[in-house]
Amino acid sequence: MKEVSMFIPCTVDLFLPHIGEAMVSLLQRAGANPVYHRGQTCCGQPALNSGYRKEAKKAAKHFIELFGNDEAVVAPSGSCVGMVKHHYPELLGDEPDWFRRAAELAPRVYELSQYLVDVLRVSDVGAIFQGKVAYHESCHVLRGLGVSTQPKALISAVKGTKLVSMDQDDFCCGFGGEFANHHPDISEAMVQDKVRNYLDSGADLLILCEPGCLLNIGGYLSRHHPEKRVMHLASFLAQAGREER
Amino acid sequence: MRVSTEQFTELAGQGVEKARARPSLKMVPHFLYQKREAGLATLPDAAAAQACGAAIRSEALSRLPDLLEEFEKNAIANGAKVFWARTAEEASEYIVKLAKERGAKYVIKGKSMVTEEIGLNGCLSEHGIEPWEGDLGEFIIQMLRCPPFHIIAPAINIAVETIRDLFMARADMKEPTVDPVELGWAARLFLREKFHRAEFGVTGLNMAVAETGTIINLENEGNIRFAKSSPRTQVSVMTLEKVLPTMKDALHVMRLLSRNCSGQKISAYVSMDSGPKKDGEIDGPEELVIVIVDNGRSRIYQDPRAREALRCIRCAACLNICPVYRQIGGYAYGWVYSGPMGQVLMPLLLGLDKTQELYRACTLCGACKSVCPAGIDHPSLMLYYRSLDVSADIPAAHRFGGKKRPWKEALFFKAWSTAVERFWMWNSGISMVRPLMNRGSHRGVIRRMKGAFSGWFRKRDFPAMAKETFHERWEKIRNIW
Repeated sequence: MKEVSMFIPCTVDLFLPHIGEAMVSLLQRAGANPVYHRGQTCCGQPALNSGYRKEAKKAAKHFIELFGNDEAVVAPSGSCVGMVKHHYPELLGDEPDWFRRAAELAPRVYELSQYLVDVLRVSDVGAIFQGKVAYHESCHVLRGLGVSTQPKALISAVKGTKLVSMDQDDFCCGFGGEFANHHPDISEAMVQDKVRNYLDSGADLLILCEPGCLLNIGGYLSRHHPEKRVMHLASFLAQAGREER
Repeated sequence: MRVSTEQFTELAGQGVEKARARPSLKMVPHFLYQKREAGLATLPDAAAAQACGAAIRSEALSRLPDLLEEFEKNAIANGAKVFWARTAEEASEYIVKLAKERGAKYVIKGKSMVTEEIGLNGCLSEHGIEPWEGDLGEFIIQMLRCPPFHIIAPAINIAVETIRDLFMARADMKEPTVDPVELGWAARLFLREKFHRAEFGVTGLNMAVAETGTIINLENEGNIRFAKSSPRTQVSVMTLEKVLPTMKDALHVMRLLSRNCSGQKISAYVSMDSGPKKDGEIDGPEELVIVIVDNGRSRIYQDPRAREALRCIRCAACLNICPVYRQIGGYAYGWVYSGPMGQVLMPLLLGLDKTQELYRACTLCGACKSVCPAGIDHPSLMLYYRSLDVSADIPAAHRFGGKKRPWKEALFFKAWSTAVERFWMWNSGISMVRPLMNRGSHRGVIRRMKGAFSGWFRKRDFPAMAKETFHERWEKIRNIW
């Protein structure tokens, strides 16, 4: 059985732990053996995005110490994976030994849907969901990692599910970490547009692969359209799978 | 032009309100974006063409001093005069002095961003020389005294009724109309007179070719060609980074500029000038003066990281795709440039201390980077500027003047970074924060919070912190499955 190391983003750990549980179940169903390093904390994205490079470096080194020897590292987030894959080597560029370790780790880090489809070669996880689903192309999943066909393949393979198109599906939802809190005027207008497009798509459910977007779109829906749902792909596939059983 | 980059947040809020009142404002960038998609599709391999553009711009910048000298030498050999201006003031004052010496009563202008940057119109007016903008959009905003809303479509936000009233009052229009063709005709008649009698023309330029000393302009209205060929004296203003090594490079950048800008394979007018009118030629200016403006660029050039911002060819593809620009429009950015290209360029030109909101008001979505024909990585540049605010010990922070962050934030990240490499401290921190965070939660949802996070909670909820984190659940999960 393929051993795979789970990297749980801090947003998932603290606020959305069910996504982590769903990932465990999915990986097992796909024939892998998920392991979890108890020493993990945060990838350092908040620090880097706010300009605190020195502090972000500490997170990077901690991460590399912990995950550096793993054959494959998987996370249910495009931005956290992008941080490790793209920003760690850049961040540690002035320390040759650390740079080498970061660069060697980078190709072994995967976003969840990417790992399921590209590495494990699984797109049908045996799930059933009767309804129409729209997919939000999160910025760091789509443009950061080039991942788009993989989640769509997983959704399309769910029995009874119809993947419908959504206008401006590749537009940012307005999260951007600190941005959402510091620039509420702009961020709210962006998430309003995203939700408008979701409603107009006629879908019963919105699926995405990024916890940040989930907090943003979900937070807006909870306040204004509590009847509409947004779910992480992992939760969707795991839940649809359980209903089947 | 007044600089109001420090009022970004307030102006952005106004921009959002305006866009809400007039949904058509959001349509324009989207329309241009779709045109661009179609335009790029006419290339056999659009991605390769874009990458080639990035390579050309990058190489040109790495050889900037040599290329500028080569361009100057060849331009002079062609019969042009070259003036180097260190600052915006030096450039404007030189042009005013020249216009006075040539006895010009007014100046006819072709659309240009650099003359906005150096504040030329204001300087000319102060000295009693009237500037007339020859581009329709610039003509409108000049009379309205507005800044450009969009770098290639400066008056795109102005309601047609406003333009009708403006033309009735100021441009000798006979009958009130909102018909765009009629309005265009009225402006044309009015400006044609100015062009005919012009003694002195001022334009910007898109490219300066080092190997031939040629200056190139792309446009769709003909005002630049007119301003370059009709007057006796013609002044072309350029900033340092406009120079390209060869004509072949220029032709490729031209293919990309037209397509990325408006989706055209080639703009309606392209003019290439190598020097003034020569003996035996029937038209063209008798005198061609090229003003090369630094205005902070040589300082940017010194920093290999920041230099990337100078690759920009002003196609505006990044504005049209930017989800923030689409919400707030061009005024919020507070100066000449707007959208992502403005967010990466203006902090270097004006100083980080005056523009901090510009490079922080970004979700790092990367849409700009994905369309840029010059290969600019806008999000990374903004992260770089943000880091200069924090680390005052980097030489570049002195060069561009970072602005200190709030002490509470600095303290938070200090504590954060101590815990991030010690998981036991990290997890006990979480246990301590949880009751505070969840104080006001109801059925697992937090609906309001005062203080530092109030921005989020104006229109959004947030899940309460889980009773058990994933970390705490792990042992149990392992037993279930």
